[in-house]
Amino acid sequence: MAKKKAVLSIDGEIQINYKWSVGKAGDRFFTELRDHKKIMGTKCRQCGRILVPPRIFCEECFVEDMEWVEVEPRGSLLTFGESYFSTDGKRLKEPWMLGIVRLKGSNGGLIHFIRESRPEDLKIGMPVEAVFKSKPEGNIMDILYFRPANN
Amino acid sequence: MPKRVAIVGVGMQKYEFRKERTVEEMVFDVTRNALEDSHLSKDDIDSVVFGSAVDAFCGINNSDKVAIDASGGLLKPTMRNSTSGSTAISTPILGYTHVASGMHDLVMVICYEKMSENDSAQAVFNTVYDEAYVRPIGLNVPIQCGLEARAYLHKYGITERQMAKVSVKNRGNALSNPYAQLPMKLTVEDVLASPYLSWPVKLLDTSPVTDGARALILASEDVARELTDDPVWIKGVGRGADSVYFMGRKNKDLGRLDYAYLAAKQAYDMAGIRNPMAEIDYAEVYDPFTYKEMQHCEAMGLCPEGGAGRMIDEGISLKEGPLPVNASGGLQGEGNPIGAGMSRLCWCYLQAKGQAGACQVPKDVNNAVANGWGGMYQYNAVMVIGRD
Ligand SMILES: [Zn+2]
Repeated sequence: MAKKKAVLSIDGEIQINYKWSVGKAGDRFFTELRDHKKIMGTKCRQCGRILVPPRIFCEECFVEDMEWVEVEPRGSLLTFGESYFSTDGKRLKEPWMLGIVRLKGSNGGLIHFIRESRPEDLKIGMPVEAVFKSKPEGNIMDILYFRPANN
Repeated sequence: MPKRVAIVGVGMQKYEFRKERTVEEMVFDVTRNALEDSHLSKDDIDSVVFGSAVDAFCGINNSDKVAIDASGGLLKPTMRNSTSGSTAISTPILGYTHVASGMHDLVMVICYEKMSENDSAQAVFNTVYDEAYVRPIGLNVPIQCGLEARAYLHKYGITERQMAKVSVKNRGNALSNPYAQLPMKLTVEDVLASPYLSWPVKLLDTSPVTDGARALILASEDVARELTDDPVWIKGVGRGADSVYFMGRKNKDLGRLDYAYLAAKQAYDMAGIRNPMAEIDYAEVYDPFTYKEMQHCEAMGLCPEGGAGRMIDEGISLKEGPLPVNASGGLQGEGNPIGAGMSRLCWCYLQAKGQAGACQVPKDVNNAVANGWGGMYQYNAVMVIGRD
C-alpha cells in the first residue's frame, strides 16, 4: 500500500515572557524566606488554621482576618515520587525526587525536591527538613530541597 | 425542578497522534456524525457548547472560536467550558443545564483536544501549575500521578500487579474499538516489565498523547420522544472541586478523592440510585493511569472503598463481568485527548442503545455512569444516564 501523503504543516513558536506578581501574601512569604530563611504562614483568627502557602484570606471561614506566624522548616512527608523524565519529556539516567511536605505546626505545606536520600530510604509520614540556599533570591528555590530528618 | 433531558445522538471519530485534520476539521467531522446519528440537521440545533482543557496544546488561544463554524454554531448562542480533564463531563453537564432549564430544546455538545502539534506535552502541562510555589520545581504529569498513586497504594494496599491488570483489560478491550489509538494484546508481565515513569506508574500504566473530538446532541423530553422510542435520559449530574493548594487540604490524605466521592453522591442522589454496585450496569470511568480507574471505581461506588484491587482480581470489571468498566478501552486503549474524554459518556450511551458494536457488553445496560477528572487533583464531574 502506498504511503499516504502528509498534509502540509507550518512551523511556529510562541515565546512570551511574563512578570508574575506573587501577591500581598507571597510578598511577605518570599521576603522572609530571602532575608531570614524563615517559612511563614498566615493564621486565620477565626478558625486557627495556619496556611502555607499563605493567603490573605481563609477559604473556609471566608474572611480576611489573618495574622502572620512563623512555621517550622520541617514536617512530615505526605507522599513522594521520583521521575525518570525531565519536564520537557526527556528520559533521565538518574531520577529526581519530589515530595509533598506537611509543615510542622501548620495546616499547609510545600511540594519540593527531596534529596540526600534514595527512594528506598523514604517512607510516607517520615520527618523531613528544609535545606536553604546560601544566597537566597526571594523565590521558592531559596529552599534548595528537603531531606530526611531526625524526629 | 429541572426538565428531563435525553441524549439523542453521538459523533465519533478515530483517535490518533498527529491527526492531519485541524481542530476545525475534527469538529466538523464529529458534528456531522452526531447530526447523522440523530437524523437532525444543523438548523435544528438551538445552541452549542464547546469543551477543551488546555489551549496551549494546540497553540491557539480561545480555540473555541475555531469550532463555531464547524459545529453548526453560526449565529447561534455558543459557550466554551474548561475544567481541566473533567471538561470531558462538565461540558455535557453545561449542555444539560441549557436544556433542563427550558432555555433550549436541542443542544450540540462538542469536546476536542489537539495535543500532538507542540513539541512537549509535558512542558505544556507544567504551565498549569502554580507559578510561584509549584512550577519552578519542574513538576510534570507522570510525577504528579506518581505522588498520588504512591499515597493511594499506601492507604489501601493496592498492588502494582492489580494496576497492571487494568492496563491489560483496557488495551485489550480497545482491540474491538474502531476509533482506538492504542489497542494492545498484553500480559500482566508485559505491563510490569515496562519502564517506570514514577513509581508505581509504568509506561504501560499510562495513556497516550492524542488528537480527537467527540460530539453529543441533547434534547428536551418532547423533542427526544419525537426522535426515538427508547430515549437515554440524563438521570443525574454531579461535580466536586478541591483546593488548588493540594499540600494544605483538610483531608491531607491524597490517596482519597473526597471531591470525586462528592460528585458521585450528587449524581446518584439526583438519579435516585442508592446502591450503585447493584443498580449501575455499565461504567466508563476516567483512566489516564491504571490507578485512576481504580480510584474512580471506588469513588463512583462500583466497589467498596479500597476494593478496586479485588474488583479487578475477581474479573468484575471485565467486558464479560458483572459490572464492566471501560469496555471501549478507556483513555488507555482508545486514547486520551484530555477534554475529549467525553468519549467515556458517548460509550455509555452507545452501550445503553445496544450500538457499541464489537465493544457491546453481553448484558442489558439500563443505567450507566461516566466521570472525568482533572487539574492537580482538583476536579471531578459525574453523569449518570439510563433508559426508563
Ligand atoms: Zn478560617
